[in-house]
Amino acid sequence: MSTSRATMIEFDNVHKYYGDYHALRGISARINGGEFFSLLGPSGCGKTTLLRTIAGFEDISSGAVMIDGRHMENVPANKRPTNMVFQSYAIFPHLSVAENVGFGLRRDPRSRAEKARAVEEALEMVGLKGYGARAAHALSGGQRQRVALARALILKPKVLLLDEPLSALDRKIREQMQVELIKLQREVGITFVLVTHDQEEALVMSDRIAVMFEGEIAQLADPETLYRRPNSRRVAEFIGVMNFLPCQVTGEAGGHIQLEVAGLGQVEIEPAQAPGVTRGGPASVGMRPETLTILYEGQQAGGREAPGVVEEVVYYGDMTYYDVRLDGLDHSVRISMRNVFGRPVLDIGTRTRVAWSPGALVLFR
Amino acid sequence: MDSDTDVRNGGDSTGPQRAAPLLTRLRHSEAVNGWLLISPTALYALLLLAAPLVTLFTFSFFKDGYLTIIPEFTLENYQATLSDPIFAALMQRSLWVSGLVTLATVLTAFPIAYYLSFHVAPALKARWLFLITIPFWTSYLIRVFLWKVILGYNGVVNSGLKELGLIDKPLEFLLYNVNSIVLTLSHSYAPFAILPIYVALEKIDRALLEAGQDLGESRLMTFWRVTLPLAMPGVIAAVLIVFIPTIGDYVTPQLIGGGKIPMVANLIQARMLDMDNKPLGSAVAVISMAIVAVVSILFLALNRRFLRGQK
Repeated sequence: MSTSRATMIEFDNVHKYYGDYHALRGISARINGGEFFSLLGPSGCGKTTLLRTIAGFEDISSGAVMIDGRHMENVPANKRPTNMVFQSYAIFPHLSVAENVGFGLRRDPRSRAEKARAVEEALEMVGLKGYGARAAHALSGGQRQRVALARALILKPKVLLLDEPLSALDRKIREQMQVELIKLQREVGITFVLVTHDQEEALVMSDRIAVMFEGEIAQLADPETLYRRPNSRRVAEFIGVMNFLPCQVTGEAGGHIQLEVAGLGQVEIEPAQAPGVTRGGPASVGMRPETLTILYEGQQAGGREAPGVVEEVVYYGDMTYYDVRLDGLDHSVRISMRNVFGRPVLDIGTRTRVAWSPGALVLFR
Repeated sequence: MDSDTDVRNGGDSTGPQRAAPLLTRLRHSEAVNGWLLISPTALYALLLLAAPLVTLFTFSFFKDGYLTIIPEFTLENYQATLSDPIFAALMQRSLWVSGLVTLATVLTAFPIAYYLSFHVAPALKARWLFLITIPFWTSYLIRVFLWKVILGYNGVVNSGLKELGLIDKPLEFLLYNVNSIVLTLSHSYAPFAILPIYVALEKIDRALLEAGQDLGESRLMTFWRVTLPLAMPGVIAAVLIVFIPTIGDYVTPQLIGGGKIPMVANLIQARMLDMDNKPLGSAVAVISMAIVAVVSILFLALNRRFLRGQK
């Protein structure tokens, strides 16, 4: 999928202050060449600021940003090997679509005709063939975004920066554009750095994701690791849904961590299931809704099971979400079940058994 | 909107609704409401703008009987004016002077508007705008007269320079010439030019300027390729707002020009009052208006690409 694994962007202990406000607090990370990398976090976490330090729109207070091995200090935005797709798309309203796409080609030594062909090719790549003569201000949101993409990609940057590019689009077009962006990235092999607050979008599109809170990277990992082994409750809560049960760390034996979990009893887990710190004392375990299964009459759990009562049922067509209160717990856990033909949806108040597996647990402090 | 549409809007044209009293239908008509809303202003404009214009236009086709006006149709006034070398000379001067004033005003107003829009903290912008309007706190006449005090033979500039020992006797080229007229008018019309340019600059999405740099252009080239074209509607408005009134300015040539550099408005005054030939004065006024209109329309036509719909 990637053309090269060498480091394309490197942040070395990057700090950024706005007056007294500490926007970036010692960011250190590497983004690989040809990678689809996402900066994910709630608004105000510094993800856009970090992206803008790559583009050169934001000076950093200390630390270093390197692109392709080159120090970016004192390199202005117009001299950097990066191009950006802005959140508002920033399409020049006084220019036509073709003039927008060709904006960055002014000093390109190619002939006028060759440039016009390059513009037409770029428009074709983003699915806007034949739109060149249109006025930019007459385009729809999705089309504007395609123009912004073509305008950036025509310059063949080493890094394409995308600042919440899909947030202004409605759901259908957004999902379509996600797939198109992934395909496009594989096709051109350019490093993409995406800023988003939408965890689903980040999971769908990225090779790796940096989750940011308050100017720091909380976790940097591939989507599956982030989802299955979040290193803190905060990351777990930000990405998808997770059930938390209080527990006590009772000991460590034979490389395993022993827990006493409310509602589940004695459990032993692998150290890999505790990405955070894990000495004794109170803690909590997390479980994704799809790692829990409701057992129907006569079904046997492969592993372990816990009894409980159905408290809430939310029917989604292909899925049903159950909130089940396990015996001995004061709150319910959410369970997602794929609906299978011939299997009834349970009613509220039904007593049931829930199958779970120790391997799906994550331990948090 | 025509009345036909209103009836359809007013109800789904079923029996009872169609039979509704005329008054009720009128009250629900958007068009009628719209006319009612603008009617006070429209009336005011009609009385104070259209009526004098119509009078002027009518007079210009009448004959002059000394101290009276003979309401008989004639084209004499136009023939006389168009073949009058004084009119041609003064019209040329007027166009030249107000062209210079426009150039000077817009060129100096642009940096101020730019600074105000791009470099003044948003919280301070209102204060800056307030300061820019300070010249308007005194009447136009007084401002013009003050320039005379500043530039005059024994004025502020001359006595200052003499005090400093830089000159022996007062400089005479400061006052009573085209330069001093341009200086005075530029100062007077500066806010009129600053404000529309400022508004146009404020409307520019700052992300567009970042996009310009992101696409490889320096700040200067981004200004040239993005900021300036997007500010052009404001610049065009400023040009017209300055050019149109200054061409007919009467006070400044009279006071600052000392009557030695009359412009077309002074000619109209001379024809109307000094010669008491109102039809001839009216013809001069109508021709001047036509020339200004033609020049303005030509200017707009030349710049039409900047005025196409944006956003």
